[in-house]
Order: sequence, then C-alpha cells, then structure tokens
Amino acid sequence: MHTERRRRTIFELMREYIDDLDRFAEELIESTALIERPSWDTEAYTLEPLHNIFITPDEAMVTVDLPYTEPQAIKVKAISEDQIEITAKMRRKVCFHDFGITHRKGEFSSFRCQTRIPVPVDTKRMKTKFKRGILEVRLPRKKGYKIKGRIGASHA
Amino acid sequence: MSQPVKIVERKPVPSDAIMLYGLPDVGLVGLIATAHIVSELKLTEIAYVDSDILSPIVVLHEGLPHSPLRIFGNGNLIAVVSETPIPAEAVSPITRALVEWGQSKKAKTMISIGGMPIQNRQDVKELEVFGAASNRELLSLLQERGVEILMEGYVVGPQALIMRYCTEKNLSAIALLAQSFYNYPDPEAAAAAIRALSKITDIKLDVSKLLEKGEEIRLRARDVMKRTQRELTEMKKTQEYDVPLYV
Repeated sequence: MHTERRRRTIFELMREYIDDLDRFAEELIESTALIERPSWDTEAYTLEPLHNIFITPDEAMVTVDLPYTEPQAIKVKAISEDQIEITAKMRRKVCFHDFGITHRKGEFSSFRCQTRIPVPVDTKRMKTKFKRGILEVRLPRKKGYKIKGRIGASHA
Repeated sequence: MSQPVKIVERKPVPSDAIMLYGLPDVGLVGLIATAHIVSELKLTEIAYVDSDILSPIVVLHEGLPHSPLRIFGNGNLIAVVSETPIPAEAVSPITRALVEWGQSKKAKTMISIGGMPIQNRQDVKELEVFGAASNRELLSLLQERGVEILMEGYVVGPQALIMRYCTEKNLSAIALLAQSFYNYPDPEAAAAAIRALSKITDIKLDVSKLLEKGEEIRLRARDVMKRTQRELTEMKKTQEYDVPLYV
C-alpha cells in the first residue's frame, strides 16, 4: 500500500512560521497590556483580582484572591482550549470613594479575569475549591504527548 | 554629588527606641502589620526617605504630597513604612541608610516584620511565626518568649539586609517572619506577626480590628501586591524555598 504524504512547500512553511510569530506577538502585547492596564474597569463595573498560575507535572493550578465573595457567586468557564475566565460577584459594591479616591468615579460589583494556560490541559476535568477567600482551579494536564528523543543511545 | 539616600527629619526623633520595619514583601505581611501599629498607636510622621534611586512617586494624603517611604514614631517606638514596593536594585542602599540612621538615633533593637511563604497556606489556620536574630542573646530571648527560631535556611530581601547590616555594626536586630501567602495580601499573617511582636516587646495590640478589616485590606492592597510581586521576582525571593548547602 502506498501512503501519499505531501511535503509542505517552502511557502507553506513560511506561512506557518509567520502565523506562529503573529500569535507570539499577540500574546506578548496581551501580557504587556495585562501588566500596565489598571486593575479596574469602570465600564464593566469589574475589578481584576490578583491571580497566579502554577504548573506541576500533572496539572495547571490557577489561584485567585477573591475578597468579599461567597463560593456560590463564583463562575469559572473555559473560553478556549488554553484560556479560562473567572467571574465572581462581590457581597457588596465598592467604589473609588471607599478607597479614599475622590478624583475618579466608578462602582464595582464583581471580579473578572482571564488566564491563559501555557500547557495543554483538559478543561472538561477542571476542579475548583474555594477556601480562605482564595479560589483554586485545578486543570489536569493532557497526557499522550510524545517527545522525540532516544534514551541510552550509544555511539560505540 | 548629592547623597544617594537622604533621611529628612520633620520632628524630634526618639532615642533608645525600638525601630520597626514594615517594607512590602511576601503577603505584604510587614507592611500590613506595621501600618496597623502606626494607626492603632497613632504614631505621627517624624521623618521620610528622599532618594533619586526610588521610583518617581509622591503619595497624596489629604491633598498633600508625601514620600512613599516614611518614618513614624512616638516616645519609644519608630516605624518605617513604605506604601510602594522598593525597587529591587534600591533595597540595599535604602536599608543600609535606614540602619545607619537608626544607629545614629541609638535605636535599641531593629525589628523587621515579614512573611514566610508556605505552599498550603489556605489549609493552615494557626500560622506560625519564626524568628531570626543578629546575636545569641536575642535568639535566647525569642526562645524564652515562645517564638520559634528559624534555624537553617535563606532569607531574601529587606529583612535579610537589615539583619546583615545590623550584624556588621554589632546592633541588635530581629526578623519576625509569619507563615503567609506568597502573592496575596495576608492580614491574618500580619496579625500573627503582631502577636509574636507583643511577646518580645512592650507593644501590646489588639489584632481583632485588623482581622475584621481583612477583606477590605486584601481588596485595597491588590495593586501594591502586584507591583511588589515583580520586585520579589527581581530579587529572587523564591530562593527562600531552597535547601541550603552547608559545608
């Protein structure tokens, strides 16, 4: 049996390379914007919570600090294969005035953040826990990836 | 050439006082604890730090500009509080200048308060506070008063340098490190640190108000924590997790 396997042309390879570069640039712009933008959005009435991601050999774990939040007010959803969104309604509304700031106007009723997961994960098997005001989202890493390489190769 | 770090005194500074350091660090433990002490004991601003190596920031309070790095005090207590993280490259000259200034004011003991990150912080209700000291007498005092000693390990950041500079100058220094979150403001850890402080000093404070305001503090401290986290990365704070190699 003859298996036809078409070789990619140099133009296709270049196209793929440019696409990868575009994606990398987008991620870079996004991460820079995340660092420098304010932690609040007066149009969406949301505050961006502090959040972090930890990668272990078995899972990706996202933690989020959610003061003034009850567990039933938290929503976690996968918005793509590698991104999750966390929203949480606060027990009370807060405004700039509560922080002693009088030169800005705005009221906030919930937290909202999106996090990109840097390794392949199974979002369908996502588990959450909320304790001491910290939300923990555990996403098992996808298995079955093969890494090319030889162990114990000898040149003798 | 101007001095890189200048401490400008605004009011008479007490001598023979205990000098507390509450600089932004893991869980903002030192900052939250020291700010609470300043507020509860109604300490007034007695000096501030002026330096070109700090970020170009003023903090407005009631419409008036202030240095983000200020020194408060009363008759027998001096407290250093920074409202913004100290850039990693400025930590050394700033802490050195503060220690030298404290020495010139004959500070009795320098106590820095900070956090010690633990992985399972969410599951820990009773937070432990560990102490380190610049000499054996102070270590004995800590032990006598029920503060567990940090026997082996690395300390990274302002507390490390305050301890090092005090040891160089033969000054009394203690670091109180409360188990805490790494990346999230931790008022409970700050309360634990204040309780430990009350064991070794005459500073007796009720921490219930601090604990009641915990959620409010966590909400307000988000931006300072986020910026502090970047400086902690710069100063390789995670080395505190490392196991030291003794030879």
